[in-house]
Amino acid sequence: MNAAAVNEATREIYWNVTQVWVMYALLVPTALVAGYGVYRHLSRWRRGQPAARFDRPAARVGLLFKHAVAQRRTARDAVAGLFHAFISYGFVVLTVATTVVALDADFGTAIMRGRFYLYFQSLAVDVFGALVMVGVLMAAARRYLRRPRKLVHTDEAALILAAIFVMCLQGFLVEGWRIAATNDPWAAWSPFGNLVARASQSLMGPEAIRVWHAGAWWFHLATSFAFVAWLPYTKMMHVLTAPLNIYAANLAPLGATLKRVDFERTESFGVNTLGGFTWKDLLDLDACTECGRCTAVCPANTVGKELSPRDIILGLRDLMHERPREAFGLVASNGGGVGEVSAAACTTPADKEPTADMEARKPLPIIGAVPATSPVALWQCTTCAACMEACPVFIEQMPKIVDMRRFLVMEEAEFPDSMQEAVMSLERRGHPFSGTQATRMDWAEGLNVRTGADVREAEVLLWVGCGGALVERNQRVTRATAQLLEQAGVSFAVMGREEKCSGDPARRIGNEFLFEQLARENVGNLNKYGVKKVVTACPHCFNTFRNEYPQYGGAFEVFHHSEFLARLVEEGRLKPVPESGKKVTFHDPCYLGRQNGVYDAPRELVQISTRGGAVEMPRSRNNSFCCGGGGGMSFVDEPPDKRVNQERAREAVETGADVLAVGCPFCMTMMEDGVGARKGGRDVKVLDVAELLWEASRPREAGKQNL
Amino acid sequence: MNILVCLKQILDPEVPARDFRVDAARREAEQGSASLVTNIFCENALETALQLRERAGGAAKITVLSCGRPSAEDSLRKALAMKADAAALVVDESDATPDPLAVARVLAAAIQKLGAFDLIMTGREAGDWGAGQTGGLLAEELGLPCVSFVDTVEVAGGVLRLKRQTDAGWELIEATPPVVVTVTNDEHNVPRIPKVRDVMMSYRQPLTKLTPADLGLSDEARAADGYYEVAELFIPQKETRCDFVAGDTLDEKVDAFARRIVEVTRAL
Ligand code: SF4
Ligand code: SF4
Repeated sequence: MNAAAVNEATREIYWNVTQVWVMYALLVPTALVAGYGVYRHLSRWRRGQPAARFDRPAARVGLLFKHAVAQRRTARDAVAGLFHAFISYGFVVLTVATTVVALDADFGTAIMRGRFYLYFQSLAVDVFGALVMVGVLMAAARRYLRRPRKLVHTDEAALILAAIFVMCLQGFLVEGWRIAATNDPWAAWSPFGNLVARASQSLMGPEAIRVWHAGAWWFHLATSFAFVAWLPYTKMMHVLTAPLNIYAANLAPLGATLKRVDFERTESFGVNTLGGFTWKDLLDLDACTECGRCTAVCPANTVGKELSPRDIILGLRDLMHERPREAFGLVASNGGGVGEVSAAACTTPADKEPTADMEARKPLPIIGAVPATSPVALWQCTTCAACMEACPVFIEQMPKIVDMRRFLVMEEAEFPDSMQEAVMSLERRGHPFSGTQATRMDWAEGLNVRTGADVREAEVLLWVGCGGALVERNQRVTRATAQLLEQAGVSFAVMGREEKCSGDPARRIGNEFLFEQLARENVGNLNKYGVKKVVTACPHCFNTFRNEYPQYGGAFEVFHHSEFLARLVEEGRLKPVPESGKKVTFHDPCYLGRQNGVYDAPRELVQISTRGGAVEMPRSRNNSFCCGGGGGMSFVDEPPDKRVNQERAREAVETGADVLAVGCPFCMTMMEDGVGARKGGRDVKVLDVAELLWEASRPREAGKQNL
Repeated sequence: MNILVCLKQILDPEVPARDFRVDAARREAEQGSASLVTNIFCENALETALQLRERAGGAAKITVLSCGRPSAEDSLRKALAMKADAAALVVDESDATPDPLAVARVLAAAIQKLGAFDLIMTGREAGDWGAGQTGGLLAEELGLPCVSFVDTVEVAGGVLRLKRQTDAGWELIEATPPVVVTVTNDEHNVPRIPKVRDVMMSYRQPLTKLTPADLGLSDEARAADGYYEVAELFIPQKETRCDFVAGDTLDEKVDAFARRIVEVTRAL
C-alpha cells in the first residue's frame, strides 16, 4: 500500500449497527450499578479510623510502578505472574482501545486512523486480546487441573474466568465478521480477526455474516456492560483497589507496621469491631485477590495449624460485605437515614427503652465471628510478616492480628497461660523468662565489661537483651560478641542491671500498655547516659530500637551485631583466619531480614569464618521461614506434631550443612530444639554468627581445633 | 456480704539466688534489683473472694487492706485492677522487722475502723518470712474464729462453707460469719490477670491511707507482749562436694558406693 493510503487507514465505527442510542441508554444503568458498587466500598472504608497514608507521593508513585504496573511481586509466582500479566496488560490495552473508539465516535476526534490504527488499534489489540484468552486458559488450567491448595474455589472465580474468555471471543467474532463482510483492506493487521473472517467466509454467506455480526455486537456490548456493572461486587474489584492499596501501602520497613494506641483517647484498646480498624485496613479487605500466597508462606499454616492470613482477610471481608449493618453497628434511625450508635449512647434512656433494638446496634464482635479469627488461630501467629512480604497487593495481615490480640489481652485478659506468665514476668522483673535463676551479668563473668556510669564514656552500647543475658546458651553468644568487640578495640559498655526487656514480646503479644512502659523506661535510661550508638545481637531488640523507640524519644544509631562485626572486619580491625572446614547454612531471622532488610552482613560473616563454604536453604532471605519463636510464640508449647521449628530444622539439615548459623537468641533456642528433636541422622551444630567469627578470630590454643 | 482481704507486699521470691543478699545488721533482706510483688497466697485469697462475689452475682463488696511501706500502694492498685471494690493502706514507715503480732494489731484496728465485715481473708503465709502467723493472730485480736488453709469458700444460706486442706485430705467446715480464714493455693484460685483498661482505671480510684497513729496505736501498744524476735539472719552456705568412688570392677565400685552412702548418712 502506498503511504497516503496508510495515513488514511481506519475502519467505520458502528458499522452494521443501528439504533446506537440503545447503547447509550444501557450505559446509564451500567454506570449506576457499578457506581453504586464503588460508592458502597468507599462508604465502608470511610467507617474506619484515620490513618496517614498519602504522605511522600513520589515514593508511592514509585511503588505503584513497581508493583501495579511492573507487577514485581505478582511475578514471583512464575506461572501466575505470566497469565496475570497477559490478562491485566491485555485489559489495559483493550480499555484504551475502547476509549479511543469512544473519543472518535462521541467527541469527533480522529485518532483512530493511520499508523496508530494499524499498529495499535488493529495489531496490538488483536495480539493482546489473544493473550488475554491464553491467560484465561492458563489460569483455568492451573485452578482446575493443578488445583493449588492456596486458592479458594468459588463460583465467582469460575464465572469471572468464563466471562473474560467469552468477552474476548465475541470481540474476535465481531471483528472477524466485520472484516469478512466489508472486505477490509487492512485485514492483515488484525491477524486473529482475519482468521475468523476467513473461516466464516468459507462457512457462511455474506448475509448470514451480517446478521450474526449485528447479533454478536450487541451481545458483546451486553456482556461487557454487565461485566463492568458486576465488577465492583466481585474480587475483580481488585483492578481498582489493588493499585489504590499499593499506593497507600506502608512505606516503612515491615518491622514498623504496628500502630500506636492512644491510651488517653481510645475507647477500646485493640480491635474487636470492623470500625476499630483504620480505613486502610478496610481497604485491605477489598484489595485481596484471593491468591492465597500469604497462607502458602505462613509458617503456622504450613505445619498444619489453623492460622490462615488469607482467611482472616476474606473472613473479615465477608463480614463487611454480607453483614455490614451489624458489623458497623448501623441502624436505620427514625428519620429513615443511617445513624451510627456507640455502645455508650445505647445506654442513655433518652429515647424510650434501651431494648433489644439497642443491643442490635452494638457492632458485631469480629474475634471468633468467622473461624479464621478464632482466638486459637490468632495465638498461633509468630508475627514473622511472611504474609505481608508475599502479598502482591501489600495487604497488612499481621498488624490486624496484633490489633485483635491487643483486644484479647488488654480488654479481656484472655490469652494463653504461658504467655500470661511471660507478661507477668515482664511486668515484675523486666524480662519474660519466668523462673530463671540467671542474672543480667552472668555472661560477663571473667570478662572486664564496663557498666553503669561508664556507659557515658563508651562509644558504643552493647544491648544484651533478655535472651542474650538470661538464657544460658545465648550467654555464650553475648560473650563471643563482647570478646570480638574487645579484640577490635571498640570502646563499649553494657547497661547491666539497668537493662530491661525492649518490650518486643509484650508488643507482639498485644500488651501495648506494658510495651510503652518498658519503652519509656529504657529510652529514659539510655538517654540519661547519652547513648548514641547501640549494637545488639537480638533482632527483636534491633527492630524495636530502630523502628519503635524513635517514637518514644530514642534516637539511636542501631546495629545488629552482624552488621557491626562485618564492618569491623571490613575496616581490618578484626582479622579472622578461618580454620574450620565446616559447611554452613544461615537462617535469616524474620526481624533482621524480611522486616529490616539486613541480609548480607551475616552472610559475609559466615563466608569469612569458614573454609567449608555456605549453602542456602530453599527458603532464604526475604522468603525465609520463621524459626517459630517470634510474637511471643517461644513462650508457648506447640503441639508436638505441629512445630514450626522442626519444619525449619528439617530444611536446614537437608541442605547438607554441618553448621546452622543463626543471628537471634530466639532462633538459637528454637533451632537447637528443632535440630535436637531429629532422631538419628547427621549431627548439625547451631551457632550464632558471632560465635563463628570468634572461632575464626580468637587466639589459638596450640593444636586445638575450636569449632 | 462484706469481704475484707489482707494483702502483703513482699520482695519478689523469684529473685535469682545469686542476686539475693541480706543485711545481717538490720536482719532484713536487701532489695537489690528485686522487684516488689504481692504475696502469692494473698493473691489466692483475693482471687477466692472475687470468685465468691461472681457466684453471688456481684452481691458482695470486697475491700483490700495492707499494712506496709508506701510502695504497698502498688499491690493495692493491682488488687483494684483485679476488681476489688475499695482499698486501704496503713502506712508503716517504722524500720523494725515486721512482727506478726504487731501487724495483726494494726490490721485489726484498721478493720474495726473500716466497718463490719462478714469474711476476713489473709494468705496462709507470706513468701518472704513464711511465718504464717498473721491470720491466726488477727482472728485473736478481732475475737473471731479462724479457719486456716482454706482453698474454697461458698455461701449456703446464712453460713459459709469452707473447704480446708489438711495433711490427710480436705475438711469441710460450716461457719457463721463473721470469720477469719487463711487461704492456701489451689488450682481454682490462681490469680487472674487484670485487664489493661482496669489497670489504668485503678490509678484513678480512691484509696484510703491511714497511719498507726490514726488508728490510735502507739509503737508501745503495737509491740506489747512481743513474742517474736529475729535473732540472726544469714544465707546458709550450701556446700557441694564431689566424691568419685574408686574400684576396679563394677562390683567393687558398687560396694564402695554403698559404703560411702552409709558413711555420709551416719555423719548427718
Ligand atoms: S505473620 Fe507469619 S505467622 Fe503470622 S499470619 Fe503472617 S505469615 Fe503467618
Ligand atoms: S491477602 Fe494478599 S497474599 Fe493473601 S490472598 Fe489476599 S491478595 Fe493474596
